[in-house]
Amino acid sequence: MASDHDELTAAFHLLREAARRSAVARQLQGDVEQALLRSIVEATATLFDAEAASIAIFEREPDRLEFRVAAGAQGAGAVGLSVPPSQGIVGYVFSTGQALALSDVLADPRFDRRTAERTGYVPRSIAAVPLIDGQHPVGVLQVLDKRGSATFSLRDMELLGAFAAQAAAAINATRVQRDTSRLLREVFRELGDVELDEAAVESLVSAATADLDRDEEAPFWRLVDQVSQLNGMTDRELTLVSDILEVVGRHATRPGRRG
Amino acid sequence: MTEPLLPAWSEPFAGEGSGLLRSVRVDAIGREWAWGGSTGAGVTVAIIDSGLERQHQALHGRVVESVAVEMLDGEPKVVPDDAGDLFGHGTACGGIILGLAPDVELVSVRVLGADLRGKGAAFLAGLEWAVERGVQVANLSLSSKSAALFPAFHEVVDQAYFRGTALVSAANNVTGASYPSLFASVFSVAAHAVADPWRIYYNPAPPVEFGAWGVDVPIAWKDGGSTVATGNSFAAPHIAGLVALIVSKHPGLSPFELKAVLAAVADNPRS
Repeated sequence: MASDHDELTAAFHLLREAARRSAVARQLQGDVEQALLRSIVEATATLFDAEAASIAIFEREPDRLEFRVAAGAQGAGAVGLSVPPSQGIVGYVFSTGQALALSDVLADPRFDRRTAERTGYVPRSIAAVPLIDGQHPVGVLQVLDKRGSATFSLRDMELLGAFAAQAAAAINATRVQRDTSRLLREVFRELGDVELDEAAVESLVSAATADLDRDEEAPFWRLVDQVSQLNGMTDRELTLVSDILEVVGRHATRPGRRG
Repeated sequence: MTEPLLPAWSEPFAGEGSGLLRSVRVDAIGREWAWGGSTGAGVTVAIIDSGLERQHQALHGRVVESVAVEMLDGEPKVVPDDAGDLFGHGTACGGIILGLAPDVELVSVRVLGADLRGKGAAFLAGLEWAVERGVQVANLSLSSKSAALFPAFHEVVDQAYFRGTALVSAANNVTGASYPSLFASVFSVAAHAVADPWRIYYNPAPPVEFGAWGVDVPIAWKDGGSTVATGNSFAAPHIAGLVALIVSKHPGLSPFELKAVLAAVADNPRS
């Protein structure tokens, strides 16, 4: 009996720990994934001197590739658009995992034009590479119209592949945050003998994560809050904060420190 | 004295290899021997891709069969297909192959579609079907990264090799394992940038063994259109086309012999 109880207690602690991490991730930044992806498309557009760079992420129900972030003079119109994974260059690259570039796309009168027109910009050339997270494609990074050249070189494709790898890593890293919420939902569903509807599960998850140990760990949460304020800082300011934290950290681990 | 008992796999090598007599030495092979006068006649090439647009002028009526893989209750099933080309990519590959080997017959194996979304299982079933059908060459523009499918891909790729089917696959530039493009018996192809469809390179440091034109390649595209494209998936069909020419002229060459011929006639610098 005692071991049953111990197991339950251990499971409960694990659950609390997972919820705590999820809450910290949420607190630190509203959408860290969005911020990382935006910085990647901005770097891509700048480096390629391109009219636009954007990232589409695969979403389900219905299956679609949704443009999340974009940069460049002609990029803004794409954000929020969705295309079916069975259509167009972006769909092909996502479905096959094969990077490719097309130039002179207007030579084909019907090429992707409808989607392009919805963005307010019809490109002459496009390069697209898949975002692969482990074994699975999760999205596509695309670049439209390099200003300096009508086509994309092999080196361009390789560079684009490197940016895509970064974007996939960013998506992977922030998955912890999404997966924890999903995990909690499933656990509550498993634990409950009664059937819970989506709203009931959601409120249980929120209750478990919202005010987690706030009183016990007030200084910790104050720090999390403070770190979340750093979003708008310049690189210089961030370096300064990082230096300060390093000094504090070194002090904290020094032997003989007063407890 | 009786013959020493040999394991079955060693039997061909018994008796000083008398059963292995070859009439051609690698250093005697040139392009004229390899494919001079060949048009690809008598060779069937499967395009495992997004479908083929039968009416496209770049394919000039050489499509003899079109099938698609459909998922029925989670199981892949190969059925006749009249959806054409969903993206344009299959047609592009077919056009490149016919540009080198105008008399080959093309078989379209569509493994992409609204409900397939690059499913590894559909791709695998399409590949299996092509090998069973007995095509001499198959052009593969996609690969799977699914570790779960590794053994199944390995099996069908071995089956292709033993039957003499040359599988020509575009190398995937994304890091990590990729099946079957990185298997040893597959003709794995990456792009070079010299605008010449006949220029090929042999890379003695695999997994990617061959280089062919894949930058700014004029290609056929969807709805009777055309465009200019870059990518390894436009390099692979150049190798597939050359392999079809060789097979047409020298029926019965095995995949490794075909690789040897390509290596012998490649444009690598010679000392």
